Amino acid sequence: MAPPLFLQTIEDTGFSTWLRESESPFAFYFILLFHTFGLALLVGANLVVDLRLLGVARAIPLAPLKKLFRIMWIGFAMNAATGVLLVFAYPTKSLTNWDFYMKLTIIGFAVWVMQRLQSRVFEDSSLTEAEMMARGAALAKWSLVLWLGAITAGRLLAYTYKYLTYPS
Amino acid sequence: MNFAHLHLLLNHFPIIGTLVGLGLFLISLVGENEDLRRASLIIFAAMALLSIPTFFSGTGAQGAIKKLPGVSEVLIERHQGAAMLAMVFMEITGALSVVALWKPQGTPRPARWNWSLSAVLLFSMLTTGLMARVGTTGGDIRHPEIAGGQEEVTEGSAVSTFVHRFEPSPGRVAELMTASKWWWAFMMDLHFIGLALLIGTVGILDLRMLGFAKQIPIAPLHRLVPWAMAGFAINLVTGVLAFTGMDQYYTYNWAFWLKMLAIMLLGLNIAAFYLTGAFKSVEGLGPGEDAPLLAKIIAASSLFLWFAVITLGRYIQSYSDTISVHK
Repeated sequence: MAPPLFLQTIEDTGFSTWLRESESPFAFYFILLFHTFGLALLVGANLVVDLRLLGVARAIPLAPLKKLFRIMWIGFAMNAATGVLLVFAYPTKSLTNWDFYMKLTIIGFAVWVMQRLQSRVFEDSSLTEAEMMARGAALAKWSLVLWLGAITAGRLLAYTYKYLTYPS
Repeated sequence: MNFAHLHLLLNHFPIIGTLVGLGLFLISLVGENEDLRRASLIIFAAMALLSIPTFFSGTGAQGAIKKLPGVSEVLIERHQGAAMLAMVFMEITGALSVVALWKPQGTPRPARWNWSLSAVLLFSMLTTGLMARVGTTGGDIRHPEIAGGQEEVTEGSAVSTFVHRFEPSPGRVAELMTASKWWWAFMMDLHFIGLALLIGTVGILDLRMLGFAKQIPIAPLHRLVPWAMAGFAINLVTGVLAFTGMDQYYTYNWAFWLKMLAIMLLGLNIAAFYLTGAFKSVEGLGPGEDAPLLAKIIAASSLFLWFAVITLGRYIQSYSDTISVHK
């Protein structure tokens, strides 16, 4: 069964072709680079908050770590934007791969956990440090698992695809 | 300049440096000299870092000389096996030295003796011995005056025969790394997880010194540094394994070598942080206090260089075959 035709339509647009085939260092690899920067900001900041909530480097005061959420959301915005462009460059490759949907699902849950951490643990200024840790421990564990899962599912995209471009 | 030059330029450092480090370390033990002990541990860590590009430059050096008359592939393979084993011990020695340099919280001076120093002693001696063998087997490749014109591996001493049993076969290691795409995918996955751990922990410390989230005192944030080292260790192991799997691909690649350069500069940056007093000047900073200019410059260059490492790493894929010397 051939993949849906709209994938070919997207692939044939000038912009998609340019992203995919241009020799310019500012085409595909540039987008991929910013997707990696976004990963570093988003997952890097999450790991620090998760580890602290789970008892690593307890001397770090928890409340000011609230500021790290700004870095996470910037990373998330970068990756949402560059992610759309990457799909635009290789629509058939990504949208016909089960792993792509797995990655989006994992990220969906991870972002939900991140939002819960922010609103329930860090934006409730009535909580003491011990209460923040008690409330955040389970979320932090989920956050670690989900973000490492998101990276894994993302890396696997390079090894699991069925078509690179629309089959002719 | 070609890779043979680069390999010769680099390869004397780990061999002689480790020996010098061991000498200083032994003197520091006998004389109970703490500064000297610190200096020798720093030398071991620096040699562990320099060994990385030295090891990587071997493949290019091989490419530059393998077609010359009188160069034996067998001798090169023996040298590669010896280098792989020495590299493993060198990195363990470097990691143990960093552990020994790390001051436990609440103790102003490091303990007089602890397990990490015993481990450094053991591993630095083993590394020095293995490095001597790397030097000898490497010299045999291109110095007929010391090798006696041999082109085959001659019967060595009992010690070298014994050590040789533990030396991996480079071809076999390469096969193992590339045999399954899932194994390769797993290594790359770990490399990205290591990246996130490293950038997350170092990044927050750098940003704090630059004035972000100033309510956080610096000393507790500095407790995250072992996690950064863990991230670096993951990426060192997976990176070296990936290189041994596809050494031709990485060797003739500009992005790869610039990435190595950026990592060496990061080594200098870390030395500047801990050895110039910049660390002492920020260690005691409490909530709301501003870091001095020198610490800010070092923090900014750390951030810049780590993002340069990510950038260059990302571009390896699109820069294959960009170096064409003596291939």
